[in-house]
Amino acid sequence: METILTIFIIFIAGIAGTYFLGKLNGILRSVIFIATLLVTSWLFFTAVSPDVIIEFEVMGIMLSWGLTPLAYVFAIIVFGLSIIIGIYAVKAMEGQRSLNFFFANFLISVMAMFGILISNDLISFFIFWEIMSWSSYFMVVLNHKDVQRSGITYIIFCVIGAYAMMMAIMIIYSSTGSVMIGDFISNFHAFSPDMKWLLPILLLIGFASKAALMPMHVWAPGAYSNSPMSYTALFSGALSKMGVYGMVLVMIMIVQQIPDGYWIKEVIAWLGGITSAIGTLWAIKQDDAKRMLAYSSVAQLGYIIVGVAIGTPLAMLAGLFLAVMHGIFKSTLFMVVGAIERQTGTSNFTEVTGLIRKMPWTFLAALMSIIALAGIPPLGGFIGKWMLYESLMGSNHYLLIIVIFFSSTAAFLYCYKFLFGFFLGQEEKEWSHVKEAPALMVVPMVLMAIFSFVLGVFPGLILKPINEGMQFLGYVSTDNRFWEMSMIFNDWGNQVVMEPIVYTIFAIFLFFLIFLTLKGYKNTRYVTTKDISSSGEIPREDENFTFITGFMQPFFRAVAPVMKRQIDKYYNSFGKGLEALFDFTRRIYNGNGQTYALYFVIFVILLLMFRDSLF
Amino acid sequence: MESVGYYILGVIVTIIVAFTVGLTYMGLNRKITARVQNRKGPPFYQNFIDAYKLASKETAIHHGFMQHAGPAFLMVASIMSVLIIPVLNDGKWFPNLNFNGDLIFLLYIMVFGPLGMALGAGQTGNPNSAIGVTRGLSQMVGFEIPWVMALVALMMQYQTTSLVDLMTVQQTTGWLMFSSPFAFLAAVLAMLGMFRYSPFDIVGAPTELASGPASENGGKYLFTMMSSGSIFAFAKLTLYVDLFMGGADNLIELLVKTFTIYLIPMLYGMVSPRYRTEQAIRYFWGWPLFFGFLALVHAMVF
Repeated sequence: METILTIFIIFIAGIAGTYFLGKLNGILRSVIFIATLLVTSWLFFTAVSPDVIIEFEVMGIMLSWGLTPLAYVFAIIVFGLSIIIGIYAVKAMEGQRSLNFFFANFLISVMAMFGILISNDLISFFIFWEIMSWSSYFMVVLNHKDVQRSGITYIIFCVIGAYAMMMAIMIIYSSTGSVMIGDFISNFHAFSPDMKWLLPILLLIGFASKAALMPMHVWAPGAYSNSPMSYTALFSGALSKMGVYGMVLVMIMIVQQIPDGYWIKEVIAWLGGITSAIGTLWAIKQDDAKRMLAYSSVAQLGYIIVGVAIGTPLAMLAGLFLAVMHGIFKSTLFMVVGAIERQTGTSNFTEVTGLIRKMPWTFLAALMSIIALAGIPPLGGFIGKWMLYESLMGSNHYLLIIVIFFSSTAAFLYCYKFLFGFFLGQEEKEWSHVKEAPALMVVPMVLMAIFSFVLGVFPGLILKPINEGMQFLGYVSTDNRFWEMSMIFNDWGNQVVMEPIVYTIFAIFLFFLIFLTLKGYKNTRYVTTKDISSSGEIPREDENFTFITGFMQPFFRAVAPVMKRQIDKYYNSFGKGLEALFDFTRRIYNGNGQTYALYFVIFVILLLMFRDSLF
Repeated sequence: MESVGYYILGVIVTIIVAFTVGLTYMGLNRKITARVQNRKGPPFYQNFIDAYKLASKETAIHHGFMQHAGPAFLMVASIMSVLIIPVLNDGKWFPNLNFNGDLIFLLYIMVFGPLGMALGAGQTGNPNSAIGVTRGLSQMVGFEIPWVMALVALMMQYQTTSLVDLMTVQQTTGWLMFSSPFAFLAAVLAMLGMFRYSPFDIVGAPTELASGPASENGGKYLFTMMSSGSIFAFAKLTLYVDLFMGGADNLIELLVKTFTIYLIPMLYGMVSPRYRTEQAIRYFWGWPLFFGFLALVHAMVF
C-alpha cells in the first residue's frame, strides 16, 4: 500500500485509540498519542517520496492525492513541529480536563494539515481545510473561556474564508468540469478576464484568513491566546502556514498568468508590510504574553507574505525560509509561555517577574528563540530577514523595505519586553516557590532552540528542500546562485558567509565569558535584587521596584496617531449594524400568533382594497 | 597557518587602535565641552586613567549570571562591527576578518550588543536600568528609520550591499557625501541618536536615571562597557568615513576624517538640553525622515 494511505490509516487509528482507549487510562492515551505522531513522522521522513500520485473515484468525481515538492517543505514543518510539540503537550496538559478530546483533536489537526498538503484536487483540499478549521475552533473554545468573543470571531473568519474558497471551487468546477488543481492551472488562461481577477481574489481571501493577513487578522489574538498553549504552538507554527502554502500556489501558479497580475502582487505585498508594522506595534502594547505572541505571529506572517507576494526567486526563498523559521521559534515561545503558565498560573508580565534563576533552561530556550525572532545573527531568523531585505532591494521596493525595517526594529521592543517581563527584573517572594518545568517540557523547547541555531549556521539544510519546491513552481534552481550550505547571496552577488562569522562570534564570546563573566561570577557573591542602589535608598523586602506597567509608554506617545484606528472597531460597528437589521426583522417575526393573525388580516384588507387595480 | 596568525594579529592590532582612538576622542570630548562651558576640564588622557582605575577594581557582589554575560555580549558586538568595517582603503595594514562588510549584516550585529547589555541590565532589578533600556530601544526605532533610508538609498543606487564596493565606487565618483547629499544628511542626523550625546542622552540620563543600564555595574564591568563603547564609537565613525568620505588611505587621514565627523554630535550636544523620549523619536521622524525620503527619491531617479 502507498505510504500516504498508511499514514492516514495510522492517523485514524491513533485518533480513535487516543479518544476511546484514553477513557480507560491516561498513560495509555499518551502512549498511543506519541506513538501515532512518532510512527507517522518516521514514515513521512523515511518513506514518502514526492512523486507518487494516488487517484481514486468518489461519487463520480476523480480525486487525486500526492505530495508535491512544495508541499513537502510544509509537511516538514507540520511533522517536525507536531512530534516535538506532541511530546511537550503530554506533560504540559497533565491535570487539565477533557484530555481525550484534546489529544484526539490535536491528531485530527495534524492529519488535516497533512491532508491539505497531499490534496491534488480542490474537493479533498476543501474538505481537509474545513476539518482543520473546525478542529482548531474546538481548541479555541476548549477551556470554555471567552467563547463569545474569540471563538465566534475565529469561526466567522474561518467561514468567510471557506465560503470565498468554496465559491471559487464551484466556479472552477462548473466552467472546467474538473476539480484537479493541475487542470485548473493549465486551463486558467481560458477563463474570462473578470474571472481571472475574481478567482485568485476569492482564493486569496480564503488563504489570507488563515494566514491572518490584514484586514483578516482580527481573530488571531483571541484564538491564539485562548487555545491551550500546547496547541497554540502548533496553531501559530504550522496551521497558519497552510494559509501561506495556499497563497504560494495562488501567487505563483495563477496570479503569474494574469496580464495585470502585477497589481495583485503589489497589493498583497503592501498588505503584508502593513500587517507586520501594525501587528508589531500592537504586540508591544500587550501585557499578556499570549496576546503579545499572537500579535507577533500576525506580524511575522506579514514578512512571510511579503516574500511570497514579491515572488522573485530570492523573495520566495526568504518567504519560505521565514515560514520554517517562524514555525520553529514561535512555537518555542508559545511553549515557553505554556511552561511559565503551568509553573506560576499566569502569563501576565505585570504579575510574574524574575524567573531567570528559577527556570534557567526555559530562559535559555526563550532567549535563543527571541534572538531568532529579532533576526540577530547568527541565528536562523537573520538568514530569512537578510534574504527578505536583499530581495526587496533587488526588486526595487524602495518604500516597502523601510516599512519592513521599521517593524523589525520595533520588534526589539516586544522581544525585550518578553524576556524582561518574565525572567528579569526584581525577584518577588510570591514566586520563590517556582520550580523549573518538567524535563519532558524543557527538552523539546531547548531542542527547538538548537534547531534555530543550526539553521542559522547551515541554512542550506532547509533551503535545499525549499529549492526543490520552488523548482516545482517553475523557478530555476537557486542552488549556488543564492545560497550554499552556509552562504547566502543577493541579487547583486554580495554574500554573507555564516560559518566564519559564527566561529568568530563564538571565539570572542568565549574569551569574554571565560575571562570576564565566569571569573567575575566566581569571585563575587550573589545578593538579591532587592539589594540595589536606587536614589540612595534600598528597597524593603515587600517593595517591588520592577518597571513593567506601562513599559513602552514614551514610545506609544510617539506613535499614538497610528494606534488610534483599529479595524476591530469597524468590524464591530458593521456587526452592530447587522444586529440592528436582525433586530428589526425580529420585531416583524416575533413568534406571536396574534401578530401573525394581524398581518394576515392586514394582508386581506389590502387585498380587498386594491382588488380592482390588482386583478 | 601563517596567514591565520597574521589575521589574528591584525584583529588584535585593530582592536587596540580602536580602543585607543575611541578613548582619546571621548577624552577630547570632555576637554572641549569643558572649554565651551568656560571650565578648565580634565586632561584629554583622563579617560585612560579612569579606565585603568576601573580595570583594577574588584567587584564584590552580583545579581545573577546574565548581569555578567551582558558586558560580554556588548564586547562581541563592538568587536564584530569593528572587524567587519574596513579601517583603511587598501586593507593591507589592518587585515582584520573583513567579510566584505555586508551592510545589512552590519546593521544587525550593531544592535546585538545593546540588546545583550539590556538583558544584563534587566537582571540587576534596578528600575533605572529597565527605564533606560526601554528609552534606548524606543530611540533606536526612531533613528534607525532615517539611517536605514540613507543606507538603502546608497545600496540601491550603486546596486551593492557591500561596504567595500561602495568604497571602490568613491574612488571614481568622489565622496558620496557630495554625490548623495540627502543620504548623508539623513545619516548624519541619525548619527546624533546613535552617539547618544545630548540632546539624545536619554538612556544614560545623568542625574535623572543615574546612568541607566549601567547603574548596578562597577569595576571591571564598567571598564568593559567603557572600552566597548570606545571601540564601538571608532567603528561607527570609521563606517561614516567609509560610506560618505571615501575611506582613508592612512591612519592620519582616518583620524582627521573621523574626528571631523565626531565633532558633529559633540558640538550639537553642547548647545542642546535633553529631549524627552517621545520628543527624541519625533525628532527623527521629522527632518531626518524627510531627508531620507529625498535620498530615496534621489536614488530612484538617478
